[in-house]
Order: sequence, then structure tokens, then C-alpha cells
Amino acid sequence: MRKISEGAEAVIYAARMLGRNVIVKERVAKGYRIKELDEQLRRQRTKTEAKIQSTLYEKGVRVPGVILVGKYFVVMERVQGKTLNRMAGVGKAHDRRSMGMAMAEAGRVLGTIHRLGVSHGDFTTANIMQDRSGRLWVIDFGLAAFTNSEEEMALDVLLMKRSVDSGMYERFIKSYKLGFGGKASAVLGRLGEIEKRGRYQTRTLDSA
Amino acid sequence: MATVGIESSAHTFGVGVVEDGRVLANVKSMYRISDRGLIPMKVADFHQKHAGAVIRRALKEAGVERVEAVGYTMGPGLGPCLRVGQLSAIVLSRITGAPLYPVNHAAAHVEITRHIYGLRDPLVLYVSGGNSQILGLEDKPQKHYHVYGETFDVGVGNMLDSFARAAKLKPAWGSSVARLAEGGRYIAMPYTVKGMDFTFTGLLTNAMKLLKSGEKRDVAFSLQETAFSMLCEATERALLLTGKREVIASGGVAQSRRLRDMLGVMAKSHGRKFYVAPDEFNSDNGAMIALVAEKMHTAVGMKPKIKGSDYGIKQRYRIEDFMIRWG
Repeated sequence: MRKISEGAEAVIYAARMLGRNVIVKERVAKGYRIKELDEQLRRQRTKTEAKIQSTLYEKGVRVPGVILVGKYFVVMERVQGKTLNRMAGVGKAHDRRSMGMAMAEAGRVLGTIHRLGVSHGDFTTANIMQDRSGRLWVIDFGLAAFTNSEEEMALDVLLMKRSVDSGMYERFIKSYKLGFGGKASAVLGRLGEIEKRGRYQTRTLDSA
Repeated sequence: MATVGIESSAHTFGVGVVEDGRVLANVKSMYRISDRGLIPMKVADFHQKHAGAVIRRALKEAGVERVEAVGYTMGPGLGPCLRVGQLSAIVLSRITGAPLYPVNHAAAHVEITRHIYGLRDPLVLYVSGGNSQILGLEDKPQKHYHVYGETFDVGVGNMLDSFARAAKLKPAWGSSVARLAEGGRYIAMPYTVKGMDFTFTGLLTNAMKLLKSGEKRDVAFSLQETAFSMLCEATERALLLTGKREVIASGGVAQSRRLRDMLGVMAKSHGRKFYVAPDEFNSDNGAMIALVAEKMHTAVGMKPKIKGSDYGIKQRYRIEDFMIRWG
């Protein structure tokens, strides 16, 4: 096993298991939290993540397949590729075109995930991966939840809105509606309300 | 040559005097909060009554002969309160002939911390009554504090205040919640973090409900632990995503010893350093406004235009709209 990255809540190792490339995502204890809260969060997030990812996998959404679940770790398929935030910001026309296509695809996938009753909880370009054949994978369901709440779903859309420019967002939202179907308008209505609460008005990054 | 700063965004009327980045005076007069909280017009009346005396005391303590520049809090804050500070600053500027600079309150809290420790590019957790944000300097389009994440609803300070009132605690809410929490046991509560953003209302509603049935001390303890853990987690995520080398906490709630401990542990676990300013600069104060006004005055291209409309107040002044034109 080789450590490949360290995020805010988990350490990720690469390994081989049953002849396949896998990652082991281990939720490590956080010394700043009291033990009870720390263990509760890690246990619950590990369980929810595995369950949601398996559900989406079965329904044909492109997420890494779950192989094994422990108390504080999940073993899943390893996707070889690049996250979209590493693609963004390169100024060439060609990159912009492929980014636009990726955003349209990301919108459709988020629409599908929402239609299946799941919110992602951290839907940014850092959590969407493009593999070598150009296919998109949604990763990191550590903050995800089974829910039908329009607010939760609107927050997913808002996170994406904030991390891309307005042209990209338009393509994203157009295919989001297609992926979700009828209920998308209720979510987007809710998004408008959240923005009107006055906190988010100047936060779109047009230069990033 | 000295710069005077006037702060009056909420219950504190503060006047600070700064010279070459050194604080010569930092005088405050504070409105005592009643059980019903803060009524803006009443606080503004209080400020108006004390403004003259506080300004005179600050100038006397600093012992300065000439005022080089005057700064005031433009926002964010409560309209009537901001108005008193703004008008006092205009009067002082007319009397002394010194130019006037409008300052963003949140940026001033952060800037004075950055100034004290000489930090170039820290990750910031800004926690006050009305706000809770994770910030960092970004150069484009112009240098400013970008908001990486923030509360979707109420600020952590106001959330603790609402709980303290419901629990019938004595004013100085945040610290009375902390005192009550000592020795409490943990009860599971809603914990809502979305990447680098977070919400507090679900947590507050739950804590209020538990107050009726549960042990007060356990509820206070769990509320505080949950809220601060959420802030810490969102800050940690931002720290790793931005790769910044230092973490600071600023604003009123940064006076909490528990929150500081947690952030310190978190920063250390990633080999980063954690800094926090002395309490007098985390509670509302005029020195931070003076410090930023002095930086604006010294910065190239910041000579103020004499146009009345530039010297207004903005109750919802966002930190990313305030340009940082110095190092």
C-alpha cells in the first residue's frame, strides 16, 4: 500500500486487490474533536459513503465501485485520471471546449444523482474526475446523504456555480435539467432563495 | 504622524490611534446588552452620547499633536450604529483637515492579526457575531480576501447568543456558554458541513429543543463542541486545498480558548502554524480601523477623492469588495 493523498478527513492509499487497482480510503481520527463526536462522524460517514456509492453504482451512475467496507475505511475501485479543477483555468480554446463538454456531462450526472434521491454534499470540480478515455466519474461521497430535500440539492448546484465561470455554469445547468427531469425547477427556485438570503451575491469566480 | 480609526458597527464604540503600524491608543465604550439583545437605535443613541469623550480620551492617551488620516468602519454592521461612527469621523476629518478612509470591518480584524505577526498569506477563519467565513488573499482581479467558505445562515456568535438567551445565561453570551459547558457530557447533535461551507440553524434548533428535557450543561457542551468542530473541519479542508502555510483566527469568537485549542491542534497535525491576536483586537476596536486606514493612506494610488458619496455606510459590505493595496 502506498499513500497517494491526504484530504481533510481521510488518507488515501493505492493498492492491488484481487488483481485490480484499488484505493483504500481511511478516515483518520482528528485530535481536535472530542472522541465521541470524532468516532460518530467517522463511522457514520464511512457507512453512508459506502452505501450511497453502491446504490448509485447499481443504478448505472459512474462512481467507483465499493469492494469492501470496514469501520473507518472503504476499499473501492481506483479511477485513473484527472480532476476537473486541474483542467480548469488553462486558457487555450481547445481546453475550454473540452471543459465545456465535461461541464455539460457533470450537469447531467448531478441531475441523475438528485433524481435518485441523493445529495453529494461537496459537488465541486475537485470531486469530478475524467479518466483517460474521457469519461466522467463522480468521487468522494463522504458528505453525501439520501435525501429529497430541495435545499440540500440546491446547495450542490450552488457549490458548482461558485467554482466555475458563468458560461460553464450555463452548460452545466442546461444538462442538469435534462438529467433531473421535472423537479429540477423546484431545486433551482430554492437556489434563487438561498442566494437572496444575501450571503452569496458576489461570490461567483469569473477568473478561475 | 498618527492615524485615528473609529469603529461602531455593533455594541462597541471604539477609537484607536496608530502611528507607523504601532498602536498608541485603543479606547472602547461598550453598550451593555439586555436580555432582549441589541436594539440598533438604542445602541446608536448610546454611541452618540459617548462618541466625543471616547475620541478625546484616545487622542489624549496617544499624545499626538497632528492627525494625518482618519478611518471609520463603513460596514458590515447595523445601520444606525455605523452612522454614528461615520459622522464622528467626518467631523474629526473636517476639524483636523486629515483625509478620510472608509474601512471594511471584517478585513480590519484580519489585517491587524496579519500585521501583528507579519504574515504574508495566511488562511483565515473569521468568526464574529453575524459572520463566519474562511478567507484567503487572492490577487485577481485585484488583491482581496476571497471567501472560500462560509455559513449559509447565521454567524456562529449570534447562534451561541441565541442559545445563551434561551438558556437564561448572563450577558457576555459566548463566554457564559463556555463556562456552562465545562464538565458537560456529549449528546449527538446535527453536524452540517458542505465542503468548506456550513450551516448552524439545524444545530441551534436541536439544542433549544434539548434544553427542555436535557441537562443544560450537557447541551451547552455538545453545542459548542459540534459548532467548533464544524468550523475546524471546514478550515482544515480549505487549508489542504489552498496549501497555505499559516492559519489565523480573528473576530469576536476567536477569543474562545476552546476554538483556539482546536485550531492549534488541527494546524499542527499538518505542520502548519496557528496565530491569533490578543483579545483586545478580536473584540471590536478602533485600532484595527486606524491600522487599515494608515495602510490605505500610505499605499500608492489611494489618495482619497473628495466626494461625499464615497463616505457612506454599507450595512452588508462584503469583504471581497474591499481591495487590499498593500503587502
